[in-house]
Amino acid sequence: MSTTTIKSPAGIDPRGPRFGATITSVLLLITVFLALDAATLGAAFGLLVFITASFAIGAFLGNSKHPYGLIFKKLVRPRLAAPKELEDPRPPQFAQLIGLIVAGVGVVLYVVGIQGGLVFAAAAAFIAAFLNAAFAFCLGCQIYVGLQRIGLIKRH
Amino acid sequence: MTLEARIALILGLLALATAVGLIWRARSGLAKKLTNGQIIDLAEIGATKNGRPVKEFGEKVTFLQFSSEFCTACRQTSKLYSELEQVHPEILHIEVDITNRIDLANKFNILQTPTTLVLDSRGRVTSRIGGAVKPETIQHEIGSFEI
Repeated sequence: MSTTTIKSPAGIDPRGPRFGATITSVLLLITVFLALDAATLGAAFGLLVFITASFAIGAFLGNSKHPYGLIFKKLVRPRLAAPKELEDPRPPQFAQLIGLIVAGVGVVLYVVGIQGGLVFAAAAAFIAAFLNAAFAFCLGCQIYVGLQRIGLIKRH
Repeated sequence: MTLEARIALILGLLALATAVGLIWRARSGLAKKLTNGQIIDLAEIGATKNGRPVKEFGEKVTFLQFSSEFCTACRQTSKLYSELEQVHPEILHIEVDITNRIDLANKFNILQTPTTLVLDSRGRVTSRIGGAVKPETIQHEIGSFEI
């Protein structure tokens, strides 16, 4: 019986994903605000499509290709002191996938005519992004094992 | 919906998210005492250290940490225990990656990583720490083993 050793790819500045989560949580809060009124519901949908697309880039191409990751690298990081330690890029990438699923559900529900679903999906995604930005709490990473146990994630 | 109602709902959502964060931070990393703790079978959990199987428990206390692949807090927790282990030879830290060991996650009812089981010198579980550990929690746990 053996356990897998944790192989660590090149580390990233942990402030990068948190910077991205801050922008995402502000955008999601605006989405919820717009979705609460029938007159601006269409704008909320457009914004959520944009957020879902950015989650997709983060989930499949990684933080280095993510638009907020690039903004951080080009504009923010040069103004900051060097990070105390680097972090594994895989947990924040997995968190992007969780965000993609939650925001994606909101987009799909809106498209099939369940417009109320958009508010709830955006609110749920906001809570996760806000916990990451304000408390450095990565919900997706923390519950990964739990999701595996109930069979939502399968490993081969 | 009126503008006032929308602003109120947005503020409510912010308050809810903040409350969740504060509750999580207060609860995370606390040690829970276990009185009917089971005995850990090192071979069963496949405990290895520096590539070799672990056969003995720490002289005083063993921190058995369950981690997973997508887990930043696991690395921080692991670092804390490793530093402690270097200063105190009577303390043993074992880290088991349960990403591919759902049998262990089920057996020990692990819902989040890291989860640490604190074991006495005979390998009996005395307490359980869910989430990233705090240095003061570990010090307190070690203190409870003082003879």
